[in-house]
Amino acid sequence: MNAVPSERPFRVALERVYVWELPVRLVHWLLFFSIVILAATGYYIGDPFFSGPLVMARVREVHLYTSIVFTLCVLVRVYWAFAGNGYSRWSELIPVSVRRVRSLWKSLLFYTFLRREPDEYVGHNALAGLSYAIIFAVYFVMIATGLALYQVYAPVGSPLRVFAFLIPFFGGLQIARLIHHVGMWVILIFMVAHLYFVVLYSTVEHMGIFDSMLSGFKFVPRKTSDKS
Amino acid sequence: MTQSNLMQDLERQGVSRREFLAFCASMAAILGMPKAASAAIAKAVESEKRPILVWLEFQDCAGNTESFLRSGHPTVAQILLDTISLNYHETLMVAAGDQAEAALEDTVAKHKGEYIALVEGSIPGDIDSGYCTIGGRSALDIAREVCGGAAATVAVGTCATFGGLPAAHPNPTRALSVADAVPGVRNLINMSACPANAENIAALVVYYLTIKHWPPLDQYRRPLFAYGTMIHDACERRAHFDSGQFVEQWGDAAHRHGYCLYQMGCKGPATSQNCPNVQWNGHTNWPIGCGSPCIGCAEPNFWDVMTPFYERLPNVEGINSSRWLNPVGLSLTGVVAAGAVAHGIGETVRYRRGHRPSVDEKARVDGKEQGKDASHDEESRK
Repeated sequence: MNAVPSERPFRVALERVYVWELPVRLVHWLLFFSIVILAATGYYIGDPFFSGPLVMARVREVHLYTSIVFTLCVLVRVYWAFAGNGYSRWSELIPVSVRRVRSLWKSLLFYTFLRREPDEYVGHNALAGLSYAIIFAVYFVMIATGLALYQVYAPVGSPLRVFAFLIPFFGGLQIARLIHHVGMWVILIFMVAHLYFVVLYSTVEHMGIFDSMLSGFKFVPRKTSDKS
Repeated sequence: MTQSNLMQDLERQGVSRREFLAFCASMAAILGMPKAASAAIAKAVESEKRPILVWLEFQDCAGNTESFLRSGHPTVAQILLDTISLNYHETLMVAAGDQAEAALEDTVAKHKGEYIALVEGSIPGDIDSGYCTIGGRSALDIAREVCGGAAATVAVGTCATFGGLPAAHPNPTRALSVADAVPGVRNLINMSACPANAENIAALVVYYLTIKHWPPLDQYRRPLFAYGTMIHDACERRAHFDSGQFVEQWGDAAHRHGYCLYQMGCKGPATSQNCPNVQWNGHTNWPIGCGSPCIGCAEPNFWDVMTPFYERLPNVEGINSSRWLNPVGLSLTGVVAAGAVAHGIGETVRYRRGHRPSVDEKARVDGKEQGKDASHDEESRK
């Protein structure tokens, strides 16, 4: 456990491991692009800072259609947490096992400079996994508040009208609107932190974390399990 | 009283047959019925035994009564509702004191299960403190008795519907809506708004007389004919919204040109009512029409969640969200970015001091199982 890092051989044989399956990667990038579009259009809807013929109408239209992509991505990812490979399982996101909780602690120590080595894992580290679980909870809040805000404009007879119950649930449309707006900033802050940690890990781990979200493969030291 | 001849009453008040038919046509329009329905409405209003109405007034400003009386001219609606069959109305009735109370008791006893109770104002739940006591009885007591024996109860105005201003934070009287004060009340219909629109109340009665049952309601028990559409969707300034043309300051050029009031805190996008179509005071005008943002008075807890009236978002702990949310969000994002840079510098320093071994070669081993991985099962490996 307390292997001194310098004892680790400098030349480590790496093996190529298929970690992120296609749905995971697809969802990741669709989420990224939809969030960028949703945040840009949502910012405009919240604070329209320029005008032009039908600009608000078009911006709302883009926001609404993009929200469909976003919602489907979130749902597909949740399904994949039960149907996908070991690295995309729900147990990788929500630490319930003793090992994951311990890994959570190790990751926390690493981030706060109290531990030299990042915890060894192939998929998500426990802390990252937990942060994704939390951000997915935020996504669901965004979807629910968005549905509450949208359903009042849905055509009469639209099935989306069933979400009318969400208005009293959130305490009124204005509260839903406020939560929706705050949620945008929470997600943007997450994106900044996420981007940094990916850069950090690609530097300290050399596992190809950046490329892995495109190719699906990570490069894992062959002797990861050698703990002595 | 209920058998009095409507046409005679109308004539006495100077309302011609033509005006009466125009009223029926406008009721058909409010109810979303075709033009031909106005004949059926006229027949029903003329001939049907009009329901007995009892108007209770609790914690409120009498604004709903005022809204009734302040129509530009005595309308048919007014005559239909208050001259003909209103057996009890504290503000309007001639009787006072014991006589008035006797009229109420009489109606409740004689016409149990037949009359319609219209309730204006919220009902204090804190009965021990003596808030709102009428004739020595608490409002809660009166409401439970009168609404309990009514064929239907119509909560008129936001106070009766959702508690309104008296129920706003911190709600010193523990003010309740009719629905909360009289649980399980029969055929409760909420006519929210501050005040409720007299045309809509007339339309509700006309609907009942013509169709013989109560209209379909939304999730807050408000009739869909009046509360089925967002104000924003029927707003005459919607085109300006869609083009991003907004009033930015009171009295600016955009305001004078009648642009959208969204940036001035208009709650039309959060409020359902037919104001843009029915308007107020005999179709004279309505708030947005005269350049004032909607304050969302027809929605639950509007005093708490629609305020500040001239800001887009509700305050959080007294802090103006509309003004501060974006700057704070942007700053926090910046702080996290700066934290990331600082952390990155820390990592670099640690790396340079030689604490970190560097993996300088990547040997690719394809298609081989390499022992057990520390943290994962092997199902996905290649």
